[in-house]
Amino acid sequence: MSKEAITVKDLHISYKTLKGFSIKKSLLKMKMSKAEVFEAVRGVSFSVEKGKILGIIGKNGSGKSTMLRSIAGIFSPDSGTIDLHGNSVSLLSIGVGFQNKLTGYENIFLSGMLLGFSEKEIKERVNEIIEFSELGKFIYKPVSSYSSGMYSKLAFSITAILETDIMLIDEVFSVGDVKFKQKSYNKMKELISDENRTVVIVSHSLGTLKELCNEVLWLHDGKVKQIGDPEEVINAYEEFMKKD
Amino acid sequence: MRKFFQDIKKYFKYMIYSTKSNLKTEVANSYLNWLWWILDPLCFMLVYTFIVQVVFKTNEENLPVFVLIGLTAWNFFNITVNSSVKLIANNKSIVTKVYIPKYILLLIKMFTNLFKMFISWGLILIMMLFFKVPYTFYMIQFLPVLLVLFVLSFGMACILMHFGVFVEDLSNVMNIVLKLTFYLSGIFYAISTRVPSPYNRILLNLNPIAFIIDSFRKTFLNAHIVNYRMLGIWLIVGIILSIIGIKTIQKYENSYAKVTK
Repeated sequence: MSKEAITVKDLHISYKTLKGFSIKKSLLKMKMSKAEVFEAVRGVSFSVEKGKILGIIGKNGSGKSTMLRSIAGIFSPDSGTIDLHGNSVSLLSIGVGFQNKLTGYENIFLSGMLLGFSEKEIKERVNEIIEFSELGKFIYKPVSSYSSGMYSKLAFSITAILETDIMLIDEVFSVGDVKFKQKSYNKMKELISDENRTVVIVSHSLGTLKELCNEVLWLHDGKVKQIGDPEEVINAYEEFMKKD
Repeated sequence: MRKFFQDIKKYFKYMIYSTKSNLKTEVANSYLNWLWWILDPLCFMLVYTFIVQVVFKTNEENLPVFVLIGLTAWNFFNITVNSSVKLIANNKSIVTKVYIPKYILLLIKMFTNLFKMFISWGLILIMMLFFKVPYTFYMIQFLPVLLVLFVLSFGMACILMHFGVFVEDLSNVMNIVLKLTFYLSGIFYAISTRVPSPYNRILLNLNPIAFIIDSFRKTFLNAHIVNYRMLGIWLIVGIILSIIGIKTIQKYENSYAKVTK
C-alpha cells in the first residue's frame, strides 16, 4: 500500500503578464508593456501515498490554490514535474459551468459532463444527486430562482458523486443550513476516507484537518515550511500565526 | 492534431448538450425570444432593402433575397469572430475551475450560431418561393460553400481567441476591422457590377467573405456554378489557419487561466 499516487518535484509556478497587454497603451507609450512576473509557488516537492489524505495549510496568498490547480491540470507548471502515476484527478469546485436560466436538472447534466462524466453515468446517478440535494420540486425550476443556499446545495451534490482516484478539495466543506452542513461534511468524510482514494485538502479549518489528514503540508510564500504529522505542523502553524 | 480529434470525440456529447442549453437559455428569457431568431434577419433585410432601393435608388434582382443571403453568411462570420475575442474571459468560471480544451468552447459557440443560421436559410428558401426564384440542382453547392465558411471562421476565431486573452483592447480593433469588412463584402450590393474593374475582381478574390457570399448567391439566385478553384484555395487557407490556431491554443491554453485571473 505504499505506492505513491502524487509525486511533485521542485514545482515552480509564476503568473506572467497578469496585467494583460493593450494596443492603445503600447501605441501611446511607443513600447511594449513589460510582463510582470510573480512567482506564486517556488520549488515545492512532496509526495502522497495512495489512499492517504494530505492537508495543505498556509495564510492567504501562499500559493495553495495555485498548486492545487496545477495538480488538477488547469494550468501547467513553469518548471518542475507533477506525476500522478496514471490516476484520474478532479478538483472539487462548486457550480462549474452552471447556466443560471436552466433548471437544476439540466444543470446536473451540464456540470457533470463538463467534469468528464458520460451522459449515461450521470443518468444513473441523477436521482441520487436530487435526493441528496434536498431540493425536491425546485430541481425543475431555473437555477436563477434558487436561494444562495439552494444553489450551493445543488452544486455540492453534483461534486459529491465524483469518483476519481485523486480528489483535490479547495474549501468546500460546509454549505447550506446546519443540517445540510452536517450531512455534506459526513458525505465528504465518507468520500475521502475511501481506502483507494488519495485526497489533497486545502483548508483553513484546522480542526477538520487534524481530524481527517494523515499528513499536513504548510506552505509559506510559495515554499514548504514544514511537512509531517498533522498535530505537530498545525500546532507550529498556530504558534506562527499568533505571532504575526 | 491527433489530440484535437480525440478531444472532439471526448467532448462531443458535452458540445451538443451545451449547444442545446445555450439555445434554450436564449429562449428561456421570454416565450417570444425564438421569434427574434426570425425577426432579426428579416428586419435587417428590410432596413438594407430600404436604404438601397429608396435612398440610393439602385436595384439588384430579387433584392430582399439577395440581401438576406449576404446577411445570413455575414452574421455567422461576424458573431463567430467577434465573440471569439472575449470567449475565454466570458467563460472564466469554467476556464479557471476545470480543464477543457479551449477550442471546444469555440465550437459550442459556433454550433449555436450555426443553428440560428439554419433558421435564416429556411427563411431564404421561403422567400425564394415568394419571389418565384426556382429551386435548382445548383443548390447542392450550398454544402461545400458552407464548409469553407465554417472552416475559415473557425481558423480565424481560434487565432483571435488566443490573442484575445492577452490583448485587452483587441475587441475594439476587431469591431473596426469587422465593420470595414462588412462594407467591403457586398452584403447589399453586387461587387462584380457595382465596383469598378479591376477592383471588383481583386475584392472578390482577396476577401473570402465577399467570395463566399457571392458563391451563395450563385447557388441560390443565379443557378450558376461556383468557382471551385477559388473555393478550394480558401478551404486550404482555412485549414492552414485552423491548424495554426489549434496548435497555438494547445501550446498556450494552460496559461489562459493565469491571465484571466
